[in-house]
Amino acid sequence: MKIYSVAEVTGYLRELLEADSLLTDLWVSGEVSNLSESAAGHLYFTLKEEASQLRCVLFHRARLALTLENGMAVVAHGRISIYEVSGTLQFYVDLVQPEGMGILHLEFERLKAKLAEEGLFEPARKRALPPFPQRIGVVTSPDSAVLHDIINIISRRYPLVELVLSPTPVQGDGATLGIVQAFDALNDTEGIDLVILARGGGSLEELQAFNEEKVARAIYASRAPVISGVGHDTDFTIADFVADKRAPTPSAAAELAVPHRVELEGRLQSHSRALVAALSREFERYRQRIDELTRVTTMHLGNLLTISREKLRGRELKLGSLSPLATLGRGYALVQHSATGEVISHINQVHRGDAIEVKVSDGQFKSRVTGLKKGLQAWMNSFPSKKR
Amino acid sequence: MDEQLSFEEALTRLERITQTLEEGGLKLEEAIALFEEGMKLAKICNERLNAAELKISQLQTPFEQGLESKDEPP
Repeated sequence: MKIYSVAEVTGYLRELLEADSLLTDLWVSGEVSNLSESAAGHLYFTLKEEASQLRCVLFHRARLALTLENGMAVVAHGRISIYEVSGTLQFYVDLVQPEGMGILHLEFERLKAKLAEEGLFEPARKRALPPFPQRIGVVTSPDSAVLHDIINIISRRYPLVELVLSPTPVQGDGATLGIVQAFDALNDTEGIDLVILARGGGSLEELQAFNEEKVARAIYASRAPVISGVGHDTDFTIADFVADKRAPTPSAAAELAVPHRVELEGRLQSHSRALVAALSREFERYRQRIDELTRVTTMHLGNLLTISREKLRGRELKLGSLSPLATLGRGYALVQHSATGEVISHINQVHRGDAIEVKVSDGQFKSRVTGLKKGLQAWMNSFPSKKR
Repeated sequence: MDEQLSFEEALTRLERITQTLEEGGLKLEEAIALFEEGMKLAKICNERLNAAELKISQLQTPFEQGLESKDEPP
């Protein structure tokens, strides 16, 4: 035996209470009374029944889903410990819900609020689904209708993938652990780029595993993005909130997971058409360029031709002035022997009686030599002399 | 073209080719080469879609192992 100090006793009690798994995480129903608020914003109240009371404190008001009032019937979640300063047992409340909700619903709301606060549902944290997944992990019950639906839908829409089944029970004892282990197995598998977590519809009790914190954390920790498809359209589970993408049903999850081949075939077709159209445009562009070049070249050739023609005319004019015809036009005549065509430019080329031809500017006539005289003195003398 | 391209890679390449060709301004030989590559990619993608068959495999999880041992005759 020994004598203990007060602090030792209260400290020991606190350790005992805080080591107890029931007392560290429990729901308590009762009526609110003696409600007060401290300057710091903490709420103090008592939960009471006919003959029992429990001192309660609620730090911060972050998770207070309703405004507390005296006389209100509530269910509060928290842990039991001892306030050593006053030696009183206290219920440290972290969540208060109105009475009337079932325990599963209460737990759902509590876990949802807790994980939301931790950031597990943050939209910014959600990962994009791969547009063309290659290996899709499927976490669901083997040989179930859900699995067959998923296989059928993906096989019909986009058979270019490999489905990697990671089997697990999806309800009852072992479902939570099974789902966690199924995720572990997929995390250890190479090349998984998407995970579908699926289960058919059921009651809140049957869907319980999908509202478990461990499953939520397994989804959050998955290496590949997760699509949840749990229950019916109206069922929302914690798993849905954590998943990177929530599908209303397992079939919808399969549809979200892969593109549709009809849509892909349409895309391929429109690409082919666009290619043909684009190449035709290129051809047209080049054809126009060739046309343009041809036009320009022809124009240059035309210009050259015109220039040449003008040059030619110049030459012609020059030639014209040298032509004997021009000389004839000035009154001179061309005289040739009729017999030989010999041009006569000297007097001794002809004799009396020779037949000659005389060409003038616009015709010719035949003639005969009737007389000869050498020299042109007499003719020259007939011109007026400058000397005189 | 590499026959080992994944469907996604082939489709992405096809999209880039279409875009490049639509932007225009290429040499005619380049345009024709891209056109031919694009048409070939479209054909390969189509063939992949038509020829593919869904592959299914199953991981060994503790649950599945448990089922198997239960299936054994007593």
